[in-house]
Amino acid sequence: MTKKKKSILSDQRFIVLLVIIVLFAIFSFKSREFRQYTTILSMLDFSYYDLLMAIGVTFPLITGGVDLSIGTGMVCYALIAGSLVRNNNLPVVLAMLLCIVLGIIVGAANGVLIGIMNLPPFLATLCTCMITRGAGSLCSATPWPGLTQDGGWFHSIFKITVGTGRSASRYPIGFLWMIILVLVMEYVLNHTKFGRYTIAIGSNKEAAALSGINVKFYHVMVYVVCGLFTGLAAIAYAAVTPTVQPGTGAGLEMDAIGGVFVGGVAATGGYGSVIGTLAGIFVIMLLKTGLPYIGLQANWQQIITGAVLIIAVLIDIMKEKKAAAK
Amino acid sequence: MGEVILTMKDIDKSFPGVHALDHVNFEVKRGEVHALMGENGAGKSTLMKVLTGIYQKDSGSITYKGKETEFHNTREAQDAGVVIVHQELNMVGDLTVAQNIFIGREPKKGFSIDDKKMIEDSKKLFQELNIEINPKEKMNNLTVGKQQMCEIAKAISHKAEVIIFDEPSAALTEKEIADLFEIIRDLRKKGLGIVYISHRMDEIKTITDRVTVMRDGGYVGTLITADSTKEDIINMMVGRVIYEDPKEHSMVAPDAPVVLKVENLNAGKMVQNVSFELRKGEILGFSGLMGAGRTETARALFGADPKQSGKISIRGKDGQLREVTINSPQDAVKYGIGYLSEDRRRYGCVVQKSVTENTTLATMEEFTSGIFINKSKEKEVSEKYVKELATKTPNCEQLVVNLSGGNQQKVVIAKWLTRDSEILIFDEPTRGIDVGAKNEIYKLMNRLAAEGKSIIMISSEMTEVLRMSDRIIVMCEGKITGNIDISEATQEHIMNHATRNIN
Amino acid sequence: MEKLKQNPIVKKLGLNRILLACILVLMFVVFKVVLGSKFPVGDSIKSTLNYVYFLGFLSLGVTFVIATGGIDFSIGPVMFCCALISGYCMTSYHVPCAAAMVICILIGFAFGVFNGWMVSYMSVPPFIISMASMNIAKGIASVFTKTQSVSWPLGSDPVNGWFRNLISYKGFPVGLVIFLAAAVICGIILYNTKPGRYILCLGSNSEAVRLSGVNTKKWRMLAYVICGVLVGIGAIFFVGAYTTVQPGYGDQYNNEAIAGCVMGGTSMVGGLASIGGTVIGVFIISLLQQGIMAFGLGKGQQMIITGLIVIVAVYVDVSARRRKN
Repeated sequence: MTKKKKSILSDQRFIVLLVIIVLFAIFSFKSREFRQYTTILSMLDFSYYDLLMAIGVTFPLITGGVDLSIGTGMVCYALIAGSLVRNNNLPVVLAMLLCIVLGIIVGAANGVLIGIMNLPPFLATLCTCMITRGAGSLCSATPWPGLTQDGGWFHSIFKITVGTGRSASRYPIGFLWMIILVLVMEYVLNHTKFGRYTIAIGSNKEAAALSGINVKFYHVMVYVVCGLFTGLAAIAYAAVTPTVQPGTGAGLEMDAIGGVFVGGVAATGGYGSVIGTLAGIFVIMLLKTGLPYIGLQANWQQIITGAVLIIAVLIDIMKEKKAAAK
Repeated sequence: MGEVILTMKDIDKSFPGVHALDHVNFEVKRGEVHALMGENGAGKSTLMKVLTGIYQKDSGSITYKGKETEFHNTREAQDAGVVIVHQELNMVGDLTVAQNIFIGREPKKGFSIDDKKMIEDSKKLFQELNIEINPKEKMNNLTVGKQQMCEIAKAISHKAEVIIFDEPSAALTEKEIADLFEIIRDLRKKGLGIVYISHRMDEIKTITDRVTVMRDGGYVGTLITADSTKEDIINMMVGRVIYEDPKEHSMVAPDAPVVLKVENLNAGKMVQNVSFELRKGEILGFSGLMGAGRTETARALFGADPKQSGKISIRGKDGQLREVTINSPQDAVKYGIGYLSEDRRRYGCVVQKSVTENTTLATMEEFTSGIFINKSKEKEVSEKYVKELATKTPNCEQLVVNLSGGNQQKVVIAKWLTRDSEILIFDEPTRGIDVGAKNEIYKLMNRLAAEGKSIIMISSEMTEVLRMSDRIIVMCEGKITGNIDISEATQEHIMNHATRNIN
Repeated sequence: MEKLKQNPIVKKLGLNRILLACILVLMFVVFKVVLGSKFPVGDSIKSTLNYVYFLGFLSLGVTFVIATGGIDFSIGPVMFCCALISGYCMTSYHVPCAAAMVICILIGFAFGVFNGWMVSYMSVPPFIISMASMNIAKGIASVFTKTQSVSWPLGSDPVNGWFRNLISYKGFPVGLVIFLAAAVICGIILYNTKPGRYILCLGSNSEAVRLSGVNTKKWRMLAYVICGVLVGIGAIFFVGAYTTVQPGYGDQYNNEAIAGCVMGGTSMVGGLASIGGTVIGVFIISLLQQGIMAFGLGKGQQMIITGLIVIVAVYVDVSARRRKN
C-alpha cells in the first residue's frame, strides 16, 4: 500500500496535475475575471494548437532529438492554405488537407536529414524552421474564413456556437477531440511498434538496431508524425487567429516543447508520455493566461516559459543523477 | 550427450596486422555444456563472433545441424537458433522486460502490439526457467543479474538450439550463479548445445562437460572436464613458451621508500577494499583477467571516476608520506600521478591535434607567459622528447591520428614526462602496438624506473607482466587475490590467483 | 590538385579558405553582371559591410562555442536584447552613450555566463539552453522596453552621435578595421593562448583533456562567455548600422551566423575551428543577403536560402568526418 502511494507521488504527471490545480486556485482566487467562463473558453481555444504541436513534438523529444520547425511550420502551412482559400477559392476542407500534407512533407524532410543523413536534430530543424518561416513570409497576411463566412464551418470543429452575437452560447468541443487524440497517441506510444521503437531509439539506439529493428525508417517516421500534428495544429491556429501574419511563428515551438518537458519527457530521451504532455501544456497555458490577470504583463510569458523549460529540464537531470548515484 | 549439432572446422580469420584465428576447430554436441577457455586475446570472442555472423570467416567451414552454413548477421543466426548472450548487456533500459524480450518481433493484434500475449509468453518463459521476474518491470529497475536472466530468456524464446554464454557470471552474485547453473543444467537436459565462456576454473569444473582451450588465436586441444584437473587446463592455457629475458628478481633497492599507499579503496562493484603500496623505482604489475577491476582501480585512484571510500597517501617532496584527497584528475596530476589509458584514442590523446599540442596538454602553465603560449619553447620541448623517446614522426606538427600505436603511446608518455610525474600508471601499455615498438616501450619503462619513477603497470599479457614487474598484484572480481614477488612468480601461480583457484 | 595542395602559399592559407574567397569574388562578379545597375558597386559594398559588422561578431562568438562541440542559437535574440536594453537606458534614463555600450556588452556577458554555466556545470544540453535563453532574452527585452522599439542616436546627435564613428568615419570603414582586429584577436586567443588551446582540445576529445588534469568545465564555460561578450559588441554594430531595434526579433541571425561559421570550415562536431574561414563565410553570407535583396526578393527568400546553405554545409562536414573514421 505504501509502495503504491509512493509511486503516485513520484510520478511527474501527478505532480504536474497538482501544479495545475494550485495555479488555477491562485488565479481564480486573485482575479474575478479569470474565473469567468469566457476566460476559460479562450484559454482552451488558444491551447489547441499548442497542444497539437506538443503531442507531435513529444515523439522527437522521446528519441532524444527535437523539432524546432513546428512553430514556423504551423504558421507557414496556415498561410499557404489560407491564401489559396482566399485567392483561388480552394474549398476549406482541401485547405485543411493541404496543411496536413505540408506538415508531413516537412516532417519527412526533417526525418531524412536527421535519421538518414545524420545531421544534428537541432541544427537540421533550425534550418527547416528558417525555411518554413521564409516560405510563410512569401505569402501575404491572410485571414481564413470567419465563422459566419462561407467555409467558416471549420471553426465548429473546435468550438460549437449556438445562436449569434452576445447571447450565443459556445461549447469547447475541441477539448473533447484533444482528449481523444491524446489518448490515441498515448496508446500509439505504448502499444504499437512505432511507439515502442520511438522509445527504443531514445533509450538505446544501438541495442535497437542490434535487435533487427529498421531504426532509420522509424527515426524518419517519428518526424513525419511530428509533422502531421504540426499540420493539424495549423488548422487549429487558423481557427483562433483572425489573421495569420507572415514571418511569425518563431517562438511558438517553445511553448510546445516547454510543455512536453514539464510533462516529464527525459532531457536525453527514452521516456515520456502524451498524457504528461497534455498536463504540461496546461501548466504553460495557465501561466500564459493567468499571469496578466494578476498584474504581470504579457511580455513576462516568454521569460516564464524559458524559465519553466530550464526548471523542468534541471529537475529531470537531477533525477537522472540521483538514479545514477544509486 | 547426443549427436554433434555444430562443427567449426579450420576457421581462419585475419584482421589488418593480426592473425586472430589460426585454423581453429570447435564442436558442440546436443545436451552438452562445452567450455571455451583461454587467456585474454586468445581468440574466444572472435570465434564466437564468426559463428554468430558478426564477423565473416576467411576460410574454414561451419556445419550446423548437418548442413554447411554461414550466417551473415546476428539476425540470421538467431533465426536459425544460434544465439549469444552477451557479456555487455544489450537492453533498452526504458522498456519493460517483456518488451525487451520480444523487441523486433512483437506479436500483433490488429494495429497494436499484443502486450497481453507478450507478458503471458514471458511468464511462461520465466516459469520454464524457474525464475521470478515481473515481465512488466522496467529493465532499468532490475539488478544486473536479473537482466542477465532476461537475456537468457530472450535467447531461449528464439527457439535456440545453440546458446553461447559469454562470461555470464562476471556480474552475478553467488546465489545468482547458482540459479544460472540450474537453468543451464535444465537446458542441457532439453538437448540444447551450450557454449560456456568463462575464466573461473571452479565454474568450469562444476558445469561443463568438455573444455576446448585456445591460445594466441590457435586451437590447443579439447579435454573431457571430468577426466582432467584444473592444472591440466591451466597448463594448456599458458603453454610452454620461452620468454625473452624474464625478470629474475626485483630491481628495487631494499630501502626504497614507499611513494604511494592505497588503503581500502572502494569504488562500485569493481573495486572492493583495494590496498597496496608502491615503492620508489618499482614497476608494480597488476595482473588479472578481463573485468577483474584493474582499470577501475586505476581510474578511481586517479580521480577519473568517483570512489566511495579509501585512503590515499603520497610521498611529498620532503620525503613524508601524507594523506591526500583526490577527487578529480586535476588533483591527481597535482600530486604527480600520470595515467596512460589502455584506450589511447579515446582517453589518451587528442588525436586530431599535433604532437606538440598533446605533449604540453598537461603542463600548459609552463609554456605560457600571461595567457599566451610560448610556441617556440613548446616546440623545443616536444622535439626534445621526440628525440629522447625516438618517436617516429616527420615533425612535431604532425597530427597524432597519423602516428602508429606505439608512437601515440610515446606521445602520451612525453605528456607525463613533461609534467615530471613521479607515479605513472600504464594501463595496457603495449595493447595494439607491434613487436618492435613494444620492446622500445619496455626499455623506456625500465629506464624510467631506474631513474626513480614509480610505475603501476596494468597488463593482461602474461609475458609482459613477468618480464617487466618487480612485484605483481593479482586481482579478481574487484578484489586483490594475490601479491607476488617476481622471484616467486610463475604463470601458473598468477593464473591460479586470477581464476581464484586458490582462495 | 595534389600539386596545388602542396604549394607552400596555398598550404599556409588553406585550400578551403582560398576557394571560399574565390566564391566570394565570383559571387560579387555574378551579381554585378546579372543585375547591372540594380547592384551599384559602391552602395552594395557599403551595405554588405554594414551587415558583415554585426553578423561577423555573432559568427566569431559562435565559432568558439561550436569549437567545443556545443551550439548556441540564442545569439540573435540576445544581441537584440543587449541593444534594446542599453538603448532604452540611453533614451529613457539618459545614460551616456559610452556607459550604454558597456551595459550592452555586460548583458551579452551575462547571457554567456548563464548559458555556459548551465551547459558545463549543470549538464543541460546546449540546444535546450539555447531555446530557453532565446525566449528569456526576447522576454526581458520586451518587458524592459515595454514592447517599444528603441532607436539609438543618429550621427547628427551632438552628444551621443560620436558612436557612429565606430562604423565609419568620414566614409572610411572604421567598422571593418575593428571587425578585422577583433577577428585577429579571436584568432590569437584560439590558436595562441592557453584557453584557446583547451577549448579546441576539449572540443576534439573532452575526456582525454580531463584525464590530463585540466578543468574542462571551466574552459567550456569560457567559450560561451567569450561568445556572449562578442554578441554584446555585435549589438553595438547592429544599431550603428541600422539604428532601430524591435523587441521580439533576432532569430534569423542565428542561422546566418552559424552558416558563416560552418561554411568557413568550423566543424559542428567540435575541435576544428577556423577564424579566417568564419570571416570569409560571414562576407559570403552578407553579400548573399544584399544580392537576394537586389534581385528584388525579400526576407523570405533570404531565410530559405540561408537555411539550405546551412544544411548543405553541415552535411558536407558530417559526411567528411564520417569518411575519415
